[in-house]
Amino acid sequence: MIRLQRVLLLLAAVFALVGVVLLLWHVPVVGAGTPMLQSAENPGQTPADLGCRLCHSDTDAELTFPSGETLPVQVDMTVLAQSAHGHSAETPLQCQDCHRPINDYQVPHAPVSAESIRDYTLQRSVTCENCHVEPHITNHPGPDDPDTPVGCTDCHGSHDVLTVEQLRNGDGTTNCVTCHEAVDVTSHTETELTQVIRTGLFTNSLTDGYCLACHRLPDRELEFANGDTVSTTIDGLALRQSVHGDTNPTGQIRCVECHGRYEFPHPEVIVESAREYTHTRNEVCAECHQDQFNETLDSVHAIALEDGDLEAAVCTDCHGAHDTTHPDEPIQQSSLMCRECHTEIFDQYAESIHGEALFEENNEDVPTCIRCHGVHNIDDPTTNLFRIQSPLLCADCHADTELMSKYDISTDVFDTYVADFHGTTITLFEHQDPNVESNKAVCYDCHGVHDIKAVDDPHAGIKDNLLVTCQKCHPDATDNFPDAWTSHFKPSLENNTMVYLVDLFYAIVIPLTVVFLTFMVGTDIYRKIRTGARR
Amino acid sequence: MSRREMEKFPRFRLMARIEHIILLVSFTVLLITGVPQRYATLPIAQGAIDFMGGIETVRVIHRAAAFLLVLGTAYHLFVSAYRWFVRRERVRIMPERKDVTDWWQTVLHNLGIINEPPKMKKFNWGEKFEYWAVVWGTAVMVVTGFILWNPISAAHVFPGQIIPIAKTAHSAEAILAGLSIIIWHLYNVLVKHRNWSMFSGKLSRDIMEEEHALELERIDAGGELWPHEGGPIDPRRKRVFIIVGAFAGIIVLAVLIWAFTFEQTAITTLPPITPLP
Repeated sequence: MIRLQRVLLLLAAVFALVGVVLLLWHVPVVGAGTPMLQSAENPGQTPADLGCRLCHSDTDAELTFPSGETLPVQVDMTVLAQSAHGHSAETPLQCQDCHRPINDYQVPHAPVSAESIRDYTLQRSVTCENCHVEPHITNHPGPDDPDTPVGCTDCHGSHDVLTVEQLRNGDGTTNCVTCHEAVDVTSHTETELTQVIRTGLFTNSLTDGYCLACHRLPDRELEFANGDTVSTTIDGLALRQSVHGDTNPTGQIRCVECHGRYEFPHPEVIVESAREYTHTRNEVCAECHQDQFNETLDSVHAIALEDGDLEAAVCTDCHGAHDTTHPDEPIQQSSLMCRECHTEIFDQYAESIHGEALFEENNEDVPTCIRCHGVHNIDDPTTNLFRIQSPLLCADCHADTELMSKYDISTDVFDTYVADFHGTTITLFEHQDPNVESNKAVCYDCHGVHDIKAVDDPHAGIKDNLLVTCQKCHPDATDNFPDAWTSHFKPSLENNTMVYLVDLFYAIVIPLTVVFLTFMVGTDIYRKIRTGARR
Repeated sequence: MSRREMEKFPRFRLMARIEHIILLVSFTVLLITGVPQRYATLPIAQGAIDFMGGIETVRVIHRAAAFLLVLGTAYHLFVSAYRWFVRRERVRIMPERKDVTDWWQTVLHNLGIINEPPKMKKFNWGEKFEYWAVVWGTAVMVVTGFILWNPISAAHVFPGQIIPIAKTAHSAEAILAGLSIIIWHLYNVLVKHRNWSMFSGKLSRDIMEEEHALELERIDAGGELWPHEGGPIDPRRKRVFIIVGAFAGIIVLAVLIWAFTFEQTAITTLPPITPLP
C-alpha cells in the first residue's frame, strides 16, 4: 500500500512539473499581444529574450551611476514593439541583439562601467554598427568627439527607434532641435531641420570627411562581376597633398566634385570589370581639363582603345586618381609614368646618354619621353610620318646653338645631315609626301632610338662601330666605306680636307670662268653695237 | 634674201649633228633634273622636283639621261679614235698657238683697238675652248656621277672620301658647265647669230666670213669641202684598233657590270632597317 502511494506521489510530482513547464510556456508576458512571444526565426517557439522581458517590462529598479545619476531599467514594451526594430520590422530584434556581449547580461547583470548616463548612451551607440555596418556619416561629430559627441541614439532614439519614413515625416526632428538649442547651432527650427532630413540628410554639405569616414578605413574593396577587386580605401593624406588638394590654386577639389553622382547608399556599380569601370569614370577629368582631354582623343592611346585594347592608357593610368602629383616635379616624374607600361623601352632610355643625364644628374635639358613623343596627343611613332619627320625632332635641341654650347656639342649636325645623301632625300621626301615610306637613314637609324649613346662611348659608341652601323643598311659596305661619311663635319682644312679643296677649287674657277665668258660676250656686244651704229 | 645669205657652206656631217642632239638632250635633262637636287632645300627646287614627279622619279630620269650622255660620249670617243689612229686625219680641234693670238685679236677688235678681226680656221678659238670644256666637264661628270651611282663599289676600290669629293665636284662642275653653256654657247648660237648649222649642217657665207675666214678663203680658192675624208686606210692600224678597241670595250663593260651589280642597297628602296616597338 505504502509502495503504491509512493508511486502515485512520484507520478503526481512528474505531472505537476510538466504542468508548470507547460503553463510557463504559455503565460502571456506583455499585455495581450501574442506576436511578441514568437521568435522570428522559429514562429511558435518562446523568444529567447523572454527572460529579459519578464523583469524589464514591469520593474521599479534603477541603475545608479558613479555620477549619482539614476536610470530606470524598465522598458516600455509597447513602444519597443512599435519601433523600427519592433514586430512590424522586416527583422524584429531581440534584446540581446543590441545588449551584447551576452555574458554581461546574465543574471545577475555585470556592473555598468560608464561614469554617467551620457557615457553609457554613447557606449551603447556602438552596438548599432553591429548591423548598420555602413552607417551614414553626417558632419556631426561622432561618439568619440571629446567636446560634443553625438551617438546614433541621440537622433534615432533607442528602444523607440524611428523608421526612415517617420524621420522624413519630421517625427524625430524634436531630437535635433533639443540638441541644436543646447549647443547653440544656428539652424534649429523644426521646419528647417525636417527639410534637411528630407532632402537626403546633409547632402548639401557633403565634405570629404563625410566620404573618408568610410573610405579611409583599411581594406575596403569594390568587387566587380568578373571577380576583379579594387581598393576603395583612400589615403586621405595623399589626397590632400595631391595637385587637387590643399595646394590647388583654384581650391581643394572635394570628393563629390569628381564623384558627383554618388549618393549614399551608393548606387550599384553595373560594369563588368575594374578596367571598364576606369573607362566609365575617365571623362570626369574633362570637366576641368577639357583641352588636355581633347588632345588625348587623337593620341596613340585613344586609337588603341578604339581598336579594342582596354589596357590603353587613360588619364588616371598616367596621373593617378587620388594621389595625382605634378607630372613635371621632379623632372623625371613624367618618364616614370610611362615606365608603368613601357618598361622595356624605359630601361633602354634610362641607360642612354639622355636617360643617364636625367636620372643621375637631374639634367633638365635632356629629352624626357614626352619631349619627343608629346604629352597628351602622343603620335604613333611607328608611322612613316613620324620616321620622316624625326630628324626635325632631334634638331629641336641639336640645332639650338645656345643649348648645345652648354655641352660643347656641334650644331652643324642637322645642316650637315640635310646636306648629305640621307638627309637630302629625307628632306625631299618630307616635302613631297611626309607619309611616304623611306629607308633612307634618319638620325635614330645610326644613333639608336631609345638607347642613344655618346658617339665616343667605349662600348656602344657609333665612332668605333661605324662600319657595322653602315652595314645595317649597306650589307656589302667594306672598310673604306665609312670614310664616305663626313661625320657631321663641315668640310674644312682639318676635316674632309679633300672635299674642302675641291670645293675651294670650284669656288675660284666658277667665278673666274663666268667673269671671263661675260667679258668676252660683253666685248662682242660692244663691237656689234659700235659697228651697227657706224653702219 | 641676198645671194650671200642664200649661199651655204657644209659644216657638220650628219653623225656630228646627231651626236650634238644627243648631247643637247642629255645635257639639258641632266641639268634640269640635277640642279634642283643640288639646291634641294630651296622651295623652288622642291617645287621643280615635285613637278617632275618626285625625287625618286627625278633620279631615274637623271640616270637615264646620264646613260644617253655616256652612250654619245662612247660613240664620239671611238669615232674620234678611229679617225685619228686608223684614218690618220689631222685633229683640227687641237688647240694651237694661233688660237691664243686669235683670241687676243678678237678682244682687241671687239674693243675697237684694231680694225681687222682675226681670220680663223674651221674651228676657231672659241669653239675649241668650248669643245675641250665639254670634254673636261663630261669626263668629270661621268666619273663622279658613276661614283655617286655606285658608292659601295667605288669605296671598295677607292678611299671612302672619294664619295663626298665626287659629290662636291659633281654638283660644282654642273654649275660651271651650265653657266658656261648659258653665257657662252647660247649667246654665240642664238643671240650673236641664229646659227643652226648643228641642225642643218650648213653655214651661211656671212657667218663663215666672220668666224671662219680662213676656211672660207680655202673653199673659195677651190679647196675641197671635206678635205680630210677618203684618206688611205692602213689595214695593220685598223686591226690594232679593232683589237684594242674590243679589248677596252670588254674591260669597261666588265667593270660596269661589276659595279652595278656589286650591291643594291644604295639605289633600291628597302624597308627601313630600324625596328620599332
